[in-house]
Amino acid sequence: MEVVNARSALLSNFEVLNLLRELDADHIARTKTAIRVKKEEGAAGKNLHDTHTEEISENLRTVELEAIQYLSADYQPTLHQSDKSITQLVRGLQPFGLSKSEKLQIVNLAPTEPVELYVIVEELEDRLGNQMEDLLAVVTKSLHDRAPQPRHETITVPERKNTRSEIALEVYEEVEQETWEYDANQMEFDDTGEGAGVEGDLDVDDD
Amino acid sequence: MFVLSIIKDTIAILPTNFGVPPEQALIAEINKKYANRVLHDVGLCICVFDLVEAGEGKVRYGDGCLWYKVRFRMVVCRPFASEVILAKVKSSDEDGIRLSVGFFDDIYVPLAYLPQPSAFDPNERAHFWLPDSEATTPHELLESATADRMYIDQGEVVRARVEADEFYDDEPGPPKAAEGVAVKREARRAPYSIICSIAEQGLGPVPWWKSAQPADDAMDQE
Repeated sequence: MEVVNARSALLSNFEVLNLLRELDADHIARTKTAIRVKKEEGAAGKNLHDTHTEEISENLRTVELEAIQYLSADYQPTLHQSDKSITQLVRGLQPFGLSKSEKLQIVNLAPTEPVELYVIVEELEDRLGNQMEDLLAVVTKSLHDRAPQPRHETITVPERKNTRSEIALEVYEEVEQETWEYDANQMEFDDTGEGAGVEGDLDVDDD
Repeated sequence: MFVLSIIKDTIAILPTNFGVPPEQALIAEINKKYANRVLHDVGLCICVFDLVEAGEGKVRYGDGCLWYKVRFRMVVCRPFASEVILAKVKSSDEDGIRLSVGFFDDIYVPLAYLPQPSAFDPNERAHFWLPDSEATTPHELLESATADRMYIDQGEVVRARVEADEFYDDEPGPPKAAEGVAVKREARRAPYSIICSIAEQGLGPVPWWKSAQPADDAMDQE
């Protein structure tokens, strides 16, 4: 094992949140198909082969969910950002002559007040002086464009997975838990209007 | 807070996973090995970002696994020095405050990095800051009016600046033959800990520096 480059690139909180959300959605999709396959095979009386089940690492799920929770917290600006808004923000920060780490921090923290900017940028008065207001305006503007986030998916998952990871069960037993919990969660989020919940309901009703 | 690290390693894929496309199996194995673990002098590994290159799987003498030489990029959490982060107060004690970011808890603010003057209130089990105070000894500070004190309570969101981080490699050394079976258990140190400061203006609990309400004290506004 060799660490080739311990710090090859910096990532913004937004990028990491997106990556983790994708990973999460991936896991859910995979477990959904696994449940469906198992049910079909069970109904057809076939032998339950374990050919394609991969154990999902507990560690990965834990750190993934906790990181998603932290990054999507209310006090973080990450939920109010989108790809477009960040590109816009970085472009808007160009004329101020900030270092890479300062720009990254501004993207991560989205300061809207002078005092917040003061802790991020060194020697604020000397370097920016009267441009402070302009900088804050650029930041505030980028926060207003908020892209629609698929929030309901991430909300259902923590409730379901937390109960699952608390109990150390084998995959089969977890799957049984899954179908039961799934129902309850779908019931709660009626206002989403997205297809995912309805699909899940249809599956269970087949019994 | 997050960086990408390029890592090279040799990963074994078990025969049960031969039906899965190798990239998927490799990513799963790498995540199993690295996720939520601290790599010395690198940071806390979160998950695999992508595979850069992977060689052909070779079978080694002795087991049936396919061994791949992989080079991949991993998302690692390692705040750099003087970075400002948002964290929640996990607990306070006489030596300082402990912060948490959900997936990582070993973030400490020692007494020296608290805004001065401040003291620890053993009744509230919380530190408090007395802005614009002439008092210097903890004794005098504890005699101040409770209404003047700015408490740093548990669960509050604070802005902290990273001062330093420490890696501790606690490899158990070779067993000492003379000791016999008696194992001396030393205090377990965290493999990775971050030291932060909340001493400057703008740092500390976020509500202290919000100038949205007109009823704020003069010192809260910049």
